[in-house]
Amino acid sequence: MSADFIQLLVGGILLGGIYGLAAFGLSITFGVLNVLNLAHGEFLMLGSLLSYGIFVGLGINPFIAAILVIPVFMLLGLGFYLLLLKPIMDRPPHELLVASILVTLGASLFIEDVTAFFWERPVTGISYSLPPMELAGVVISSTRLLILFFIFALAGGMQFYLKKTYIGKSIRAIVQGREGAKVVGIPISRVSALAFSIGMALAASAGAFYVTLFTVTPVMGIPLTIKYLCVVVLGGLGSIVGSVFGGLILGVAETLTAYYCGAEWSPTIAFILLILILIIKPEGLFGAKK
Amino acid sequence: MKKRALFICLVAGLLMGIPIAAIGAPDAIHIGATVSQTGHFSSEIGPFKRLMNAWADLVNEKGGIMVKEYGKKLPVKFTIYDDRSDQATVKKYYERLATVDKVNLMLGPYSSPLTFAASTAGENHQIPFIAICANSPKIYTRGFNWLVGVIDLGPRYTYRYWEMIQKVGKAKSVSFVVEDTIHPLSVFKGSKKLAEAAGLKVLTSDVVPSKTRDFTPIITKLKKENPDIIYVSSNIPFAINFMKQAKEMKLNPKEYHCIHHSGIFRDALGSAANDVIGQSYWVEGMKLGDTQLINDVLKRAKISEPMYPWSPAYVAAFQILQRSIENAGTLDNKKVMDNLKKLKMETVLGEEVFAKTGYGSLNTYPSQIQGGVYKVIYPPSVATGKYVYPRPPFK
Repeated sequence: MSADFIQLLVGGILLGGIYGLAAFGLSITFGVLNVLNLAHGEFLMLGSLLSYGIFVGLGINPFIAAILVIPVFMLLGLGFYLLLLKPIMDRPPHELLVASILVTLGASLFIEDVTAFFWERPVTGISYSLPPMELAGVVISSTRLLILFFIFALAGGMQFYLKKTYIGKSIRAIVQGREGAKVVGIPISRVSALAFSIGMALAASAGAFYVTLFTVTPVMGIPLTIKYLCVVVLGGLGSIVGSVFGGLILGVAETLTAYYCGAEWSPTIAFILLILILIIKPEGLFGAKK
Repeated sequence: MKKRALFICLVAGLLMGIPIAAIGAPDAIHIGATVSQTGHFSSEIGPFKRLMNAWADLVNEKGGIMVKEYGKKLPVKFTIYDDRSDQATVKKYYERLATVDKVNLMLGPYSSPLTFAASTAGENHQIPFIAICANSPKIYTRGFNWLVGVIDLGPRYTYRYWEMIQKVGKAKSVSFVVEDTIHPLSVFKGSKKLAEAAGLKVLTSDVVPSKTRDFTPIITKLKKENPDIIYVSSNIPFAINFMKQAKEMKLNPKEYHCIHHSGIFRDALGSAANDVIGQSYWVEGMKLGDTQLINDVLKRAKISEPMYPWSPAYVAAFQILQRSIENAGTLDNKKVMDNLKKLKMETVLGEEVFAKTGYGSLNTYPSQIQGGVYKVIYPPSVATGKYVYPRPPFK
């Protein structure tokens, strides 16, 4: 393997890690609540802006900011759920899906415009980076590598939480079958609220990493949500491992496509993968068959 | 009875020293505009409603703009809508400005695509239309008679930079990284020709989708090519993302040129922004004549020039607007437009003259970020700092 190819592979994996973390939350929300949250990217954007504020205002490292934003956005997520989603949760599944798309799309546009109106800084980004490493001619970004470790740690923690705790098991039970979970006495409404809050907190946490690597604008949310939806479908709904692997696959595919086929083909690969996975394995790579 | 009353009014007016013409004067000079307060461009232009009102306040505090026909100064009054950064919306609002608000003059919206859509209202209703931040040649090739633009065409956006490169004669090759949107593409097309004309070898030209966040493939390619100059023709977010990763991957050409390298670029990149060259309309300390108006308007509007480096172009547009009305001495659309077209004046950004097709002559200057400060490096007559080449490599 040439050094160029390894360089591209490493770059793709590091990029995919960010996709994976951001897609976690979306996956949980969709899996547990059957809610397609189109405002997911907006929460990532808000998490980025808060992390920026913490970094610039308080001088706190963005990696710590990624943890600090979690409780704030759990509360915001809870408020969002109670105010906008709970009233539509009793609708039949197909109606709920359509209603959730409309509600969250409306919320997304609202958040976007209000943020753009009040957040006067045109583009936000922070000047934080660590010195890169060089191994056998391959330059590796230490910042991205550290973020990837952080994401794996967070994914591991979430996986543990879902497998070993009562609430985690309840969330998984709802993903597997809402009616069955109700029958065995799981408090669907409470667990759903919690799952939504976790989803939002994960999006905000991903936002802290996002603003460390990329620029943030108030209007970036919807295109990001669409990309992360591709990752979720690729990895399988409700699967943490699926989200991480879906993200990694997409990251590597985008990087290799841009190099060998041209940068203009890079955004297309997400949709090609999506179509392929829907034909070959509609439940996603790690999704359970229903 | 009515005639008698009118006669008494006229006599009273004369006795009180009011010119007869002033009796029929309108209440104000009505200027129409839109600002993208929401949507895609809001991040670049959002607070500019304040900029327009700040200038209007400054003018109105001095009594307004002199209109000879009425023998007095008239205050300036803006009607401003939020165009939501959307072509259909901008078109709708400029039609409204022409037909419902009946404005005397229109200032263009932000960007070439929005200006392209909005300027038809000026043409259809024969109202003078001054485009500001819009330099796509497409706008000026439609044979419009009621349109002028403040700035020079996009392909010439960096001509002074290439002039400098040729004069200095150190750089021999260049690679282009281009964001696939209208303005960067237009700048790139002109720059490529200018680079070749300056004797540089163009090694690669990568046109990259606007939403690109990961530049690993392009940086890997550029490392192989090893050009002297990497020229990034893009909007600010794209340039920041590229430069961040270039630093992370130790991509070290002798020079970076990012056409837009505003204060946001500098703040987001920190030390990585040092020695990057870009384009500025104006920086503090430039020898461009009386630029106090820029400071006054920006201060009142609470807008920072490094964050919104296109704001001086708006101030130049205000000056042009004012002068065209003063020269015309009337608010008659035709006469104001005729005066606009033949206008030749010294603005805060230098001399403004309009080409036959309507585009202006104001253009940018190459500026380099040196120790966090913007220094115009060419031409020597206006320079505020010395050109640094080659830049120190990322370590």
